[in-house]
Amino acid sequence: MSTMESLTPHTEVRVAVGRCVRTLTTSTDNKEIITAFQTLHSYLDEGPGSSTSPVQRAEFRKAHYTRTLQFLISSINADWLRLLTAAQRVELWDGLFLRGPPEQALLVLMEGIGTLRPSTSLDHLVSLTETFLRSGRLADLLWNHCLEAGPSDSPQLRETLLGRLAALPDLTANRLHPNNKPLFLPQQYYPLLAAEMLTALERTCQALRDGKDCSLTFVAQTLGKVCIQGHSGSVLAVMAPRLSVCTRSDMVWQRVCWKLLQNVPERWLESVLTGLVQAVSGPDALGRIIGNLVLKNKKAQFVITHKLLLLQYKYETRVLRILLGYLAADRERRLLVIQVLRSLCQAWANPSAVRHTPLEQQLYVSKALLLCVGLLNDSELQELRSELLQCMLGGMQSHLDSSVVRVRRMGMVVGECLSSRMDINGTKLKFEYEQDEETQELLSLMTPLTDDEPEPESVNGVHSPQEATQDKSSQNNSVHQPPKTAPDSDLDSDDELTPYDMSGDQEMSQASPPRYLRDCLEAFISSEDPVRVELSLRAAEGLVRKNVFTAREISVQLTKVLLHMEDKYNIVGFLILRQATMVALTVTDCIPVTQYLTTEFYSLNYSLRQRLDILEVLAMSAQELSQPITDKGNPSKGITPIAELTPYPGDNPVHWRQVVERRIQSKTKRLSKGATQPPAKVTPNRYAPVAGHFFFPLLRSYDRPQVTFDLLGSDHLVLGRLIHTLGLLMHLAVNAPVASQMGCALLDFVWVVRYHVDQMVRRGVLFAVCSVFLSMPSHSLLVDLSDQLFETRTWLADVAEGDPDADCRNLAVQSLVLLDKNLKKQLDPQALDLQS
Amino acid sequence: MSRPAPSPIYTLRGAGGPLNALHFSCRGGDPPLLFSGSGTGAIHIWNLNTRRAEKVLEGHSGNSVIWISTLQSTNALISQGRDMRVCQWDLSEGRGEVTDSVWTGSVGFCQCSLLEMSPGTRLLAYPGQQTEEIKIIELPSKAPVCSLIPDAKLGMVMCIKLWQPDSGPGPLLLAGYEDGSLLLWDVSQRSTLSQAVAHPEPVMCLTFDPKRLRGISGSSEKNLSPWMLDGQNNLQLQDPVSLVNPGVSQLSIRGDGKLVASAGWDHRVRVFGWKKLRPLAVLQHHTDMVLSVAFSDHQDPRRRLLAAGSKDQRISLWSIYNEGADTG
Repeated sequence: MSTMESLTPHTEVRVAVGRCVRTLTTSTDNKEIITAFQTLHSYLDEGPGSSTSPVQRAEFRKAHYTRTLQFLISSINADWLRLLTAAQRVELWDGLFLRGPPEQALLVLMEGIGTLRPSTSLDHLVSLTETFLRSGRLADLLWNHCLEAGPSDSPQLRETLLGRLAALPDLTANRLHPNNKPLFLPQQYYPLLAAEMLTALERTCQALRDGKDCSLTFVAQTLGKVCIQGHSGSVLAVMAPRLSVCTRSDMVWQRVCWKLLQNVPERWLESVLTGLVQAVSGPDALGRIIGNLVLKNKKAQFVITHKLLLLQYKYETRVLRILLGYLAADRERRLLVIQVLRSLCQAWANPSAVRHTPLEQQLYVSKALLLCVGLLNDSELQELRSELLQCMLGGMQSHLDSSVVRVRRMGMVVGECLSSRMDINGTKLKFEYEQDEETQELLSLMTPLTDDEPEPESVNGVHSPQEATQDKSSQNNSVHQPPKTAPDSDLDSDDELTPYDMSGDQEMSQASPPRYLRDCLEAFISSEDPVRVELSLRAAEGLVRKNVFTAREISVQLTKVLLHMEDKYNIVGFLILRQATMVALTVTDCIPVTQYLTTEFYSLNYSLRQRLDILEVLAMSAQELSQPITDKGNPSKGITPIAELTPYPGDNPVHWRQVVERRIQSKTKRLSKGATQPPAKVTPNRYAPVAGHFFFPLLRSYDRPQVTFDLLGSDHLVLGRLIHTLGLLMHLAVNAPVASQMGCALLDFVWVVRYHVDQMVRRGVLFAVCSVFLSMPSHSLLVDLSDQLFETRTWLADVAEGDPDADCRNLAVQSLVLLDKNLKKQLDPQALDLQS
Repeated sequence: MSRPAPSPIYTLRGAGGPLNALHFSCRGGDPPLLFSGSGTGAIHIWNLNTRRAEKVLEGHSGNSVIWISTLQSTNALISQGRDMRVCQWDLSEGRGEVTDSVWTGSVGFCQCSLLEMSPGTRLLAYPGQQTEEIKIIELPSKAPVCSLIPDAKLGMVMCIKLWQPDSGPGPLLLAGYEDGSLLLWDVSQRSTLSQAVAHPEPVMCLTFDPKRLRGISGSSEKNLSPWMLDGQNNLQLQDPVSLVNPGVSQLSIRGDGKLVASAGWDHRVRVFGWKKLRPLAVLQHHTDMVLSVAFSDHQDPRRRLLAAGSKDQRISLWSIYNEGADTG
């Protein structure tokens, strides 16, 4: 009996709908068609004046709505549709789509858009979908799923619906190509979807207050799906601020938010969280929105305490502040701060991480560590003291051991900050390092921002160094004139005139500079008079270049004296002057001096500085020799050669690399343009005949460690610079007959250290390889190195892909390109000609 | 980043002696000229277009020429030598001969000062036979106007500057003396108006800007001393400007009153903004004392030059702080 009762409305509705459909297919009478539509509409009318019973309506929605809509779309081109006026069509035809269950309508619409060919009918459907979206049907759809008594659907259907919702812009774009509507573009659709989700959440809040139960599963799934598809930015940019405001005072909203995030499926949780931490304005807002999710959900905990802090180093400092602030804000979550600090300490102090992870990641971890330490209170610090101390000492050591300046500096700053925070018997570490934006930022992390809404990192109080030097130089010259008591009415003042560099304005010394090179030598060896030594040092380079014959007589002796000379009197520009003189000596009397210098490089009892000096002098001399003599008068002037020198290179081998970059640039250009430039003027290459004297002795005894000098052991710095220098010597030897032998020897040499732990050495190696490929004639490259080339290629490809240092990767790619070009040129010269 | 120190646009060589005096004449005819007086008694006339000496005048019998100037109204040159004579030269139509000369009797190094009163007449102030005496005569009549001797013992007169104030009847004269004091003389009254001790050492040079009633003097010490005349013609010293190295041989203010340049014994020319005396540039080129410095009087401000003559027998020419291509 009960089945009969339930069947009755079922069949009744089926019969009625069937009749309507039949009428629509067969009838040509306007009135009949309208009546049929009205019947269909009557099943959707909810009001009290409705002519149908709720059971009938439910039956229609459940079983017939989708099919009716599908029928409408399939007959969209039928004649009967033309019988309706435009207004009627909007009211009756479109109305059916907009009033029924939104999920079914959306699915049918998307299906329709997917199947129809471009035509007016498709246009109609598209504009109908637009209306559908604009009239807030998405909110209804989401809200329907929030209700406990929501549409009961299969998981497959739900999955499809989620897919359609999340990927609507892609689906439409694929179908409509250029005719896509602006509303369907991701920039508009996702904010709309976000707003609709907010509406659904708001309704949920209202329902909860009214005592109804709701489920947020579907909204959470939608959010998760959208975020995993990469639209977390645009969605959360709309949602986060609103949620942050709503949760400020309203507990219901907070509960809804927490529930929402708990319901996000685990596989999508990460992208929601990463989007959220970037979109919220501060740690408090994050705390209000996600609550103690980090304690309840293992995945969330992993993402927040591990992935975001240690691995994904792409986020701004603001995000770090928010994350750690969030963890520290609550008593229960605070335990996690301690845990995080431990893992940060471990990551920061790990010597292998210092060597093998990218610099950016190290910087990120350092920032997180400092922020974390800044958040601890005194009792927690006491508790963690020993661990922090261990971390600091170990980490500092591995950072300071690094040959990369930024890493060392990072170690110093973090060490300083940690020690100041720990208060070890009132003592603090204090390093001398150059302040730059990076160190300033790191230091600023120790001071917590009290404001709830943190502002972006400000660059406050950073005085540009040149301002300071300007001040200094003007003080040098004169006391500033204080403003006159009677102000001049003239508008023109001195301010419009920019001063020139006046740093050269030094006090004149009374003594006259030496006029003979031997006097200089004498002064260096025996004089205790600072003025005399300084004048001699200043005059020496000019004298060497002016008096070539005298210089040749005492070149080795003078080089020896200069190499051992110390800056006893704190002479301004001592290093530059000394180096310039040594370079002048090497250039003037090439073979004996290089012989001396290369032998001394491997001998006992030299400081690292002196060994580096030797390398620099050799490199600069080679550079000078390889340049054509352009200005004959230049060396004889003898007054200003010092001023022409670039600043002392010091620890910065960049200038060599620039030379090569320039070469690579010019080389690639020439290939693509053809020989349009006028040929350079022919001048003899002074370097080519002596290149071997510079190069080969340096390769001789690198593997013989001595008491004070172990090139393959701890003296990475020298090794890196040695390889750099060799690379440069190789590079300068382009077109020299000896280049082939040099190239083979150099490749052999660097092969041993190609996987060195120190990135400076690796950079040097890659630089050297680059210069081999640049300078060696391509035929000898193929003939002499044929057996090594394949291995080299594999190694380079490996480095280009996997080296943690960005410079190394770039250099490896460059080398690969050069190698390929060389090979192509050699194997198939015609092809290359055609190509260019 | 401040601009690198400038370098000279060109150098004139071949004067054959230290260059004590420089004088531009770029306003009137073509080509622009630069006159230089050397320690060997020669006056070179440099053509600034060809950058060659057009003519060399020898008129002080091998004695050092310490001052030269052109006469605006006629094509004539006036020069002072250490042979105790001030000579007037006729340069018109390529001539180059002494037309007139005045015997000064001064054995010092004080340079004369010339003031155009009206077209055709001018006053010449020169150091007299007594070391502290300044004589003023009218040219071309050579009629003596007055002789100014200070009452107090101030030592030798070192430098003088004659000028005509806008208000007031007669010309005034500023003089620096061996003991470091400055005196302001009223020429018509033959009386001192004001006195100030500007330096502890002899005043080596002074220059004065009649428009701003402000001047500056240099000495053998490390300071330049700027001073001002108030409404009552009182000399008021202002805060000194210190130099890196002591000794200034000459000071010169540019025609537009924006720059002042000093010729330093330390081989350098220093350029200051005249308004606040802010140091602007240090011109390093010479290898010996700079003895003279002068700004050109080009009508086009972009072509203005600064010339510096040195004991190293060279004249360097600089183009700095000119509107247009290379403004400051």
